[in-house]
Amino acid sequence: MSIEAKALSRFYGSTRAVDGVSLSLSDDVQVLALIGPSGGGKSTFLRLLGGLEAPTSGSLCIDGENLSTDELLLREWRKKNGFLFQSFNLFPHLSARENIVLPLVEVHDWLRSDAEQRADEVIDRFGLSAHSKKQPGQLSGGQQQRIALARAIAHEPRWLLLDEPTSALDPEMKAEVLDLIQELCESGQKIVLSTHEMGFARGAADHVVFLAQGQKVEEGDAEALFAGAETGEVRNFLAKVMKW
Amino acid sequence: MVKRAVAIFVSLVLGASFCFVFWVVASHDYNWSAIAPYWRNFLSGWWMTLMISAAALVASVLVGAILTGGQLSPYRIPRILSRAFVEIIRGTPLLTQILIGFYLVAPAIGWDSRFGVGLLVLACFSGAYLAEIFRGGVESIPQSQWLSAKAIGFTGAQTYRFVVIPQAIRRVLPASAGQFANLIKDSSLLFVISVHEFTMQAREVNANTYATFEAYLPLIFGYFILTFPISLLSRSLEKRFSYEH
Ligand SMILES: Nc1ncnc2c1ncn2[C@@H]1O[C@H](COP(=O)(O)OP(=O)(O)OP(=O)(O)O)[C@@H](O)[C@H]1O
Ligand SMILES: [Mg+2]
Repeated sequence: MSIEAKALSRFYGSTRAVDGVSLSLSDDVQVLALIGPSGGGKSTFLRLLGGLEAPTSGSLCIDGENLSTDELLLREWRKKNGFLFQSFNLFPHLSARENIVLPLVEVHDWLRSDAEQRADEVIDRFGLSAHSKKQPGQLSGGQQQRIALARAIAHEPRWLLLDEPTSALDPEMKAEVLDLIQELCESGQKIVLSTHEMGFARGAADHVVFLAQGQKVEEGDAEALFAGAETGEVRNFLAKVMKW
Repeated sequence: MVKRAVAIFVSLVLGASFCFVFWVVASHDYNWSAIAPYWRNFLSGWWMTLMISAAALVASVLVGAILTGGQLSPYRIPRILSRAFVEIIRGTPLLTQILIGFYLVAPAIGWDSRFGVGLLVLACFSGAYLAEIFRGGVESIPQSQWLSAKAIGFTGAQTYRFVVIPQAIRRVLPASAGQFANLIKDSSLLFVISVHEFTMQAREVNANTYATFEAYLPLIFGYFILTFPISLLSRSLEKRFSYEH
């Protein structure tokens, strides 16, 4: 995907959650990782990319398409994404399968029979067939995130936006979700994710952006940045989080 | 141990009180023959209560939904107006509202149906309470659900229809059922505009026979067979809409 962000900002009152971030990525970048300290602006940046909120100022252009501030166009923009939050993505009153079927039918205008077939297909691919009739409350955290991931890719989005998809999970469940994301990366899915899993970011991402206090401190090729960051702030951060 | 003690205590106290009251009421020396000739009055009053309550119940859900929509509206004017309506209706006596509705407002628009005005005032009164219950239900849906729905590409209306309302229904059912029972009992205040509902008939029977207990006791059964099914229905609906968290 090509991303062209110019001085992108999002303020909440006096909090500068994202503060003048410019970014220019070509189509070769398939997996982009956002890293940085807590409160650095990763989630906000992802919400901006996903059209979940309008920027306070600046512009954003994805694959040649400009982000609009018009709600109707923003919704069209959102429909092309697959979004996954840290937790509580699924609708608790619907079965796992219905969670996937409903958006296909109501947002993407699929026939119900096609949507059901597609839901079964992705559920099966993610090894969750035994759980398709269960409601989210009857699933483990890891299973819930995998179903949510299945829902996020069911309509074949142009990219997946993952906001710390594993940080609410136990280590074992983390692994099962990360495996799945890894598999999606390998299948060529375009992904932007924010994560505190540095090992995973290093292994899976092509490109890394480090955000702190709403600003881009450093960016670069994943391998190069993890091997030797230019700025002291990033080196310190990496040293600290990789210590354990 | 403590749990058990509490259970035994509660059972004893409730059981004993229940038996005592039942015994006192049942052992009174009634003169049923005094009110027997008036059975038609009771029946027609009960029927009137059933009709006006049922209609007002449906209308009150509508009023409640509209007021909820108004209060949650992104625009200021409907928000303020709905809020004011709810506060005024909830903060003033129903009796006065019925009087004003029938003797001042309705004549001003050339309307003189006691049944119609009574129904409308009841619906507004109960609707104001329902609006608060509904608003609480909608606001109890966590922010993460709204965000999730938005990320999927749902419109505002779709978010309400598929995500918020189905989850809110279960949470508002018990309180709404209570409000419906209140509405049925509140309909007895329509006597001030001479709607011949159940309580008014009992009053008249009492006035004619001076058999006070005999005239008013039928109200217990008459109202209970209206309110109890609502309670049962609410419970079964709660099960139907239940899901694990
Ligand atoms: N909706 C909001 N209203 C007000 N302030 C917000 C809002 N969202 C984010 N912020 C603030 O913006 C800043 C950036 O937050 P953001 O959630 O984007 O950081 P983050 O990098 O995702 O952090 P974390 O790693 O803890 O998830 C924080 O100071 C946060 O308090
Ligand atoms: Mg975050």
